[in-house]
Amino acid sequence: MSSSMDRRKSREKTTAKDASTIETPPPPQISASEAFIVNLVCVFGLAISFSIANKGYSFDLVSDPSHTLFFIWIIELPIVILLFSRYRQNPQQCTYLRAVGRGMLGVPVGALLNSLGAIALGAPVTFQYLPKTVNWSLMMSLLTIVPPSCVLGSSWADWRRIFAQTKASGSVEYLICLPAHGAVIGGWFGAWPMPLDWERPWQEWPISVSYGAIAGYLVGVVASCGFVLAHGRSQHVKRD
Amino acid sequence: MENGKGKWGYIWWQWVTLILHLVAILLFTRGFLLTRTELPFYSHSSDLRQSPCLSPDSNSSSSWTKPSVNRIVIIVLDALRFDFLAPSTFFPESKAWMDKLQVLKNAASTHPSSARIFKAIADPPTTSLQRLKGLTTGGLPTFVDVGNSFGAPAIVEDNFLNQLVQNGKKVVMMGDDTWTQLFPHHFERSYPYPSFNVKDLHTVDNGCIDHLFPSLHEEDWDVLIAHFLGVDHAGHIFGVDSTPMIEKLEQYNKVLERVIEVLENQSGPGNLHENTLLVVMGDHGQTLNGDHGGGSSEEVETAIFAMSFKQPPSVVPPEFDTYSCQLDLDGKNVCISSMQQLDFAVTISALLGIPFPYGSIGQINPELYALGAGSQNLGASQEQSESDIWMQNYANAMCINSWQVKRYIDAYSASSAVGFSHDDVSRIASVYAQAEDQWSHSTKHLLIDRNNGSNTLVPVLERQINAYFNFLSTVAELARSKWTEFNLNLMGTGIGIMLISLIFQFLAIVRANKQHSLTSSSSRDSWNTSAVAFSIFLLGIRACSFLSNSYILEEGKVANFLLSTSGIVALRQSIIKDKLLMESVGFLLLSTFCRFVIEVGLSKQAATSAFMKGYTSWILNIVSGLPVWDYAAEVVPMLVLVLLAFWLYKATSGSFSVWPWKYVILGTILSYMLIIVQWITDSSNRFGVALLPESIGRNIIPRIVYAIALGQFIFMAFHQLFKDNYLDCKTSLVAKTTAMLSTWSSIVILLSGKQGPMIAFASISGGYCIMRLNNIEEDNKEHQRSFSVGPFPVMQWSLFATCLFFCSGHWCAFDGLRYGAAFIGFEEFMLVRQAILLTIDTFGFSIILPVFGLPLLIATKYQTNIGKHFLFTQLSQPNDHSMFYVDVFNIWVHNSSYDDFYDIMCNNSKAALDGKCALLYLNVSHCSISAYLRLVQYFNAYNLFLQVWGLFAPKFVFDVFGLILTDVLICFASIYYFVQGKDDPSLKSSGR
Repeated sequence: MSSSMDRRKSREKTTAKDASTIETPPPPQISASEAFIVNLVCVFGLAISFSIANKGYSFDLVSDPSHTLFFIWIIELPIVILLFSRYRQNPQQCTYLRAVGRGMLGVPVGALLNSLGAIALGAPVTFQYLPKTVNWSLMMSLLTIVPPSCVLGSSWADWRRIFAQTKASGSVEYLICLPAHGAVIGGWFGAWPMPLDWERPWQEWPISVSYGAIAGYLVGVVASCGFVLAHGRSQHVKRD
Repeated sequence: MENGKGKWGYIWWQWVTLILHLVAILLFTRGFLLTRTELPFYSHSSDLRQSPCLSPDSNSSSSWTKPSVNRIVIIVLDALRFDFLAPSTFFPESKAWMDKLQVLKNAASTHPSSARIFKAIADPPTTSLQRLKGLTTGGLPTFVDVGNSFGAPAIVEDNFLNQLVQNGKKVVMMGDDTWTQLFPHHFERSYPYPSFNVKDLHTVDNGCIDHLFPSLHEEDWDVLIAHFLGVDHAGHIFGVDSTPMIEKLEQYNKVLERVIEVLENQSGPGNLHENTLLVVMGDHGQTLNGDHGGGSSEEVETAIFAMSFKQPPSVVPPEFDTYSCQLDLDGKNVCISSMQQLDFAVTISALLGIPFPYGSIGQINPELYALGAGSQNLGASQEQSESDIWMQNYANAMCINSWQVKRYIDAYSASSAVGFSHDDVSRIASVYAQAEDQWSHSTKHLLIDRNNGSNTLVPVLERQINAYFNFLSTVAELARSKWTEFNLNLMGTGIGIMLISLIFQFLAIVRANKQHSLTSSSSRDSWNTSAVAFSIFLLGIRACSFLSNSYILEEGKVANFLLSTSGIVALRQSIIKDKLLMESVGFLLLSTFCRFVIEVGLSKQAATSAFMKGYTSWILNIVSGLPVWDYAAEVVPMLVLVLLAFWLYKATSGSFSVWPWKYVILGTILSYMLIIVQWITDSSNRFGVALLPESIGRNIIPRIVYAIALGQFIFMAFHQLFKDNYLDCKTSLVAKTTAMLSTWSSIVILLSGKQGPMIAFASISGGYCIMRLNNIEEDNKEHQRSFSVGPFPVMQWSLFATCLFFCSGHWCAFDGLRYGAAFIGFEEFMLVRQAILLTIDTFGFSIILPVFGLPLLIATKYQTNIGKHFLFTQLSQPNDHSMFYVDVFNIWVHNSSYDDFYDIMCNNSKAALDGKCALLYLNVSHCSISAYLRLVQYFNAYNLFLQVWGLFAPKFVFDVFGLILTDVLICFASIYYFVQGKDDPSLKSSGR
């Protein structure tokens, strides 16, 4: 709810500004089908890691959150970095390897940011939760921060535009913006059942938050597909 | 605009709101808060002389009734459903958990005269603590028992355990440690086991079994209580229809078989258990999910099994039987009677021959009382049958019983503030007078003169007993309506008025907004609208969180979660604007800091209230080991206080060094210094060095601080009468606010103790961040300024205040009050003074300071623009200020009453759930409400000792108190801050 609100708001706000700051190179464009495949691969990575954890080692997010989260991020790591580095900005100046490198750099930075945010919102900081928190924030980092750090690099203006103003332009930016917002907002909502006294095992940190984040991520993925499709159509119309 | 109206034109809203709130709360509270005054009176064995009844033994006055059993073994099986004990043929369908306690059923069918099964009806709330209280006192415990020693749950009312101890009997207890909390000094021996770990099915039960059998062979007790918890815990974890539950019941069956065997073997004449009564009972039932607490039939229906080991068994055929018999699966006849749990205490007292508990309103149950009949043979004239003798005894016992209940009702009406209504009392009195009349004129003489033929005696006795029944059931009915049933009409009216006040406030805000938009067209840009929507969203979530007891328990964390969320949104906003980054990051850090402090506070709460154990904070662990910490804990608060004083000093020398405010603030600085002196003497005393006589440190200095603050208030009040025209309105406003805040702060810091300066520091920095972030979108529209304060900063302000409440170590329970603070500076107790001090300590950081600090939100609007838009500042009419105060205050009230309204809403439903489920289901045709009730019930799925009543009622009291305090303070604040509204023409002209 709030995400759509923010989006609407910032779109209105920045229309005036864009006219003045237009000299940036055009954002990378990919076709709707390609965007769909990218999303599909990412979601497939998630599914694979769940099934490996489930079938191969017979545990899931509830019984062993920290190992399951570890599987998720370790499998998503190459997928996300290798995929999104292909869509880096300024491919002329920035080699593929460099994009991969800054994606790798984005992993710990994003994990730090996510864990700080979680701690501000009340995540437990006791020693027994340390591995869970670390693995959770690494997963969140891969869902939120790593794709843009591959694509955008250190361009503060772009980061601000996408994350603070939720103003994505171009299909690739939809792909990095919407799922990331979805993951964060989903995680926020996922924290709500935690204080309830149902005494279910999934109410522990970070299980419900992870479920919420993944659900939000999936919603964001679907939404981004829709936006890319709509965007492509409007581009098409414009070209005509 | 409308200068003629003066300030009253703007602030009458607040007064109307206050009155509306007061009326609403008064009505709602009268319907909702079932209060009962605990009387500090005790029955004495010598009291019986005052009654018209016969003493059992004319020569000795040691007992009220003739003791008919010597020893009682009470085995309490927690959450024993009625169908655990009753044969499955009594129910339409046979279930897996039925017929497991075979041994009791067999005893009841093979010895129908000495063993009996009762269906016992409990009264809500059906939680263990309340039920144990009801069982032992014979009263109807409500959740606000006035006179309750807050915090410690120990029973102060008269109860049969107290009577046992008073009369030289010895009690041994094993099992659930709730008993030792309730009766800390009553047991000869006790073997308590922790009861709160629901997942542990066996510790309490095994401990009980280990101690039960050795104790049965010992002589050193008269009453033995063994409280098993396994069934309750199994219900909470697995539900009723589960293997662990059935295993538990089978285990109990074996245990009870052994108990009966031991008692039977020892029941010969001259043996240990010659005249022992075994009582196996549940304290309440449970639903199929294992819940209890409410008033549904599954929860209130429990069972009592009583068996007398008297040899030979008594053969009294009771005339007042209510039993129904049926064949069980084996074809044996099983009879089941019915009784009220309310009657348990008085019946046990009558059986043991001890004085009845003073506050008991039960009646002696004839069937349970009949089990002790065998020993009642008075050796009187042989021609009377045993049953006649029993009836004579029973009639006399009922006489004593009625007299005792009447005495209690009279004493209660006389001493309680909210006693019974006059009509009820006179109705009871007439019923009693009738029965009493019959007793003194005919029955008594017949009983004294026993030589009369029994053929005349029996009908008279029957009539007499029925008259007493009539009286006692009238009393019980009245007491139930008074203490266990909510007055839904009053509650509904209260909620209605609360709704009206909400609408009223909303209209006031709309009106204020409209008026102020006349002077400056407010530009509702996108951030504004989304901020409004966002704050309404957060507020809605917070309001909804009050619907569940879990969130109320963790209210501090929830508020902090929302505060951090708003901080993250503010950070995002400041990244967009690319300014005030420091402030928003600082605010986020501050809320993180608050979070840790709240957690430490929660762990403290857990240590005292024992139902949230297991949360040992790592901060405490690390910190308590270091000796440096001791010194730091002494020194750091003083340093922070010095810093605060320095800050204030800079403020006086800076922008507004005008005489009235300067002296007020200097007074505060003096208070701060005095507080530091007090702390230094305090800690030096602790380290063994006496700098000042202790009395000065403890009493004189706080009194000086209070006196200074009082002087400052009087000074400011007087100053209101004179105008200072040489200040522009903004500076004057800031000066006024700072003076007011600093005056309050010295008292609040003094009362909060060492943590005070830190929290004051945190609140100042938090307030500063909120104020700065409030201006975040100002510079975009340099030509049109918006004076209005959106709901976003006000919401942050309110959330932050809630967090501070929890940070300063409070929580919404009566044991969360810091009674120590009420005695700072005063040794002796004086209700009003101590209540004021306690209020200031409790709500100082969360209501008093934030309400008086609210004008700063407006003042800073000017601060940012003062350089660039000096002209605009000058142009701003004071009337606009007034408008915005109204605006802000209204939003503030709106916020808090919004919360409160929801709270009342949820309390209402909760209350309905607990007390009057049945009635509500009948009455309420709205599907939504019953659906909602089911939702609440679902949310309640696992509450065990976390008593809903014990949680919601204090929360309600705290919120109501906070709301009234907020209203009153806002009214005062509006008078205080609005005064310069009158002289605006001069200012306006001078400004232009």
